[in-house]
Amino acid sequence: MSFKFLEAFKFYRKKAVLHNLDPRTKLLLALVYTISSLLFTNIIPLLLLFLTLFPLILIGKLAKQWFKSIRGLSFLFILIVIFNTFFLSVSYSIAMIIRIVIMISSFSIFFLTVDPNELSLSLISMKVPFEFAFSFSLAFRFVPTISIEAQNIIDAQQSRGYELKKKGIVSQVKNLFPLLIPLIICSVKRAFNVAEALESRAFGSERQRTYYFTIKYTYKDWIMTFILLVILTLSIIAKIYFNYLPSWVSWGLPI
Amino acid sequence: MSESSPLIVINNITYAYPNGTQALKNVSLNINAGELIGIMGSNGAGKTTLIRTLNGLIQPQSGSIFINNENIQSKTIAEISKSVGIVFQNPEHQLFSNTVRDEIKFSLKNIFDKEELLETKIEDTLKMFHFEQFKEKAPLNLSGGQKKKLALASIVCRDPSILIFDEPTLGQDEKEIDFLIALLRKETQNNKTIIIVTHNIEFAYQYIPRVILMSKGRLLADGPTTKVLSNEQLIKKASLILPQLTQLKASLRAIGLEIPDALHTQEAVRDFLIKFFESRSHKGGLS
Repeated sequence: MSFKFLEAFKFYRKKAVLHNLDPRTKLLLALVYTISSLLFTNIIPLLLLFLTLFPLILIGKLAKQWFKSIRGLSFLFILIVIFNTFFLSVSYSIAMIIRIVIMISSFSIFFLTVDPNELSLSLISMKVPFEFAFSFSLAFRFVPTISIEAQNIIDAQQSRGYELKKKGIVSQVKNLFPLLIPLIICSVKRAFNVAEALESRAFGSERQRTYYFTIKYTYKDWIMTFILLVILTLSIIAKIYFNYLPSWVSWGLPI
Repeated sequence: MSESSPLIVINNITYAYPNGTQALKNVSLNINAGELIGIMGSNGAGKTTLIRTLNGLIQPQSGSIFINNENIQSKTIAEISKSVGIVFQNPEHQLFSNTVRDEIKFSLKNIFDKEELLETKIEDTLKMFHFEQFKEKAPLNLSGGQKKKLALASIVCRDPSILIFDEPTLGQDEKEIDFLIALLRKETQNNKTIIIVTHNIEFAYQYIPRVILMSKGRLLADGPTTKVLSNEQLIKKASLILPQLTQLKASLRAIGLEIPDALHTQEAVRDFLIKFFESRSHKGGLS
């Protein structure tokens, strides 16, 4: 197991259209695609939905990191295929994989293109209390740290004979303990340390805060919001009138 | 392996992290069996990256590494870790078992097939590291120093021919450092090759015979510790602090005392000063 999929949630500053959008627009993007993907259980509508999302990944110059995240979560796809094929059908498994890919991709776009500082500002602008907005952006900021820590844990265990890949599901699950336990403990300890450091710097003592940076919803954000609402509306209409759509929309494999 | 050929041969290795940071630039190094060497340098000099290449955790983008005349690039980490053990800086990155005993057992179970041998080795390790009274204690409830010692034990018990320690003195009290020094002596007597990455210049000056200085991914110097760490220019370049003894010698020279370069221990400098003051008092220069 590798924690490289966490790379998909690491913010990189780039000069790309998506990076310049308001964080609220990107949050809306993630929510619209997640909701829309949850509406369907057939391959074709989910595939069409994904085809509208994929150009955004290319426009945002995120293809490399997106591919890493998908590859890193391949174990999840295997589990989906095993359980769904066993209990339901192959078509359903494929549809579920596309659904997960859409969800991961949309949130991946969000995390890869939103600066943690802007994230807390956008939450505050949505009337979220500063303490919660700050905690959320702090958690978001710690994703790359956890990724590095996870790699260090893997390295430390491997140098005492730990084998990363083992055969059999039970062995693979057991094999996760030497990685997950230190990771959880280190993360909890860090959380306590950060809380103490914040308190010692008088966090939360001022009721009224002012902000050095501000965020603004531009015309590009309004265009994107409009497109996203169109996608969501079309998805809902397609779901309601699914039985009236051409038969190829509900196409599936015979197994 | 022939008697004269080095145990570790690093040929011109380079490595850059995915974010573009060039961590190692054309590093070449030979280390003989039974040597105790230190790797020193400022933060970001490439020390940790260098040691990670030695057990295959990082594959250099160019160059090669030979251990026991075998190129390690063709081996898996699991294979290399049988002969190369790295003790990482943060012990909490590897402790996960319910008891100290289980923690040691995890390191050993891949090596010993027979239950009896495994049990004996666990008991020996617990005794060697004075963990008998803590053996049923949860590793995460140990003190910081004890955790570090347990991490050390979990690598040393595997009996690798090459031991690598990343900052072993960090957060250790005097008693724990004394234990470490005794362990280093014992392991070098057993012809183990030991590489220590440290910022602790006093520790290196006193106990490590050979040192490698690194800066910005390159080797700055490689030689006897007392000679390398007495070179003010090199130390400055590596962003380190001069050893206290070297500072003392420099201060004494600044006030006109001709102190020989060959004095590398506290005792030698103390004896020199006693002799100097005795001779001055005989001449009536000092009361």
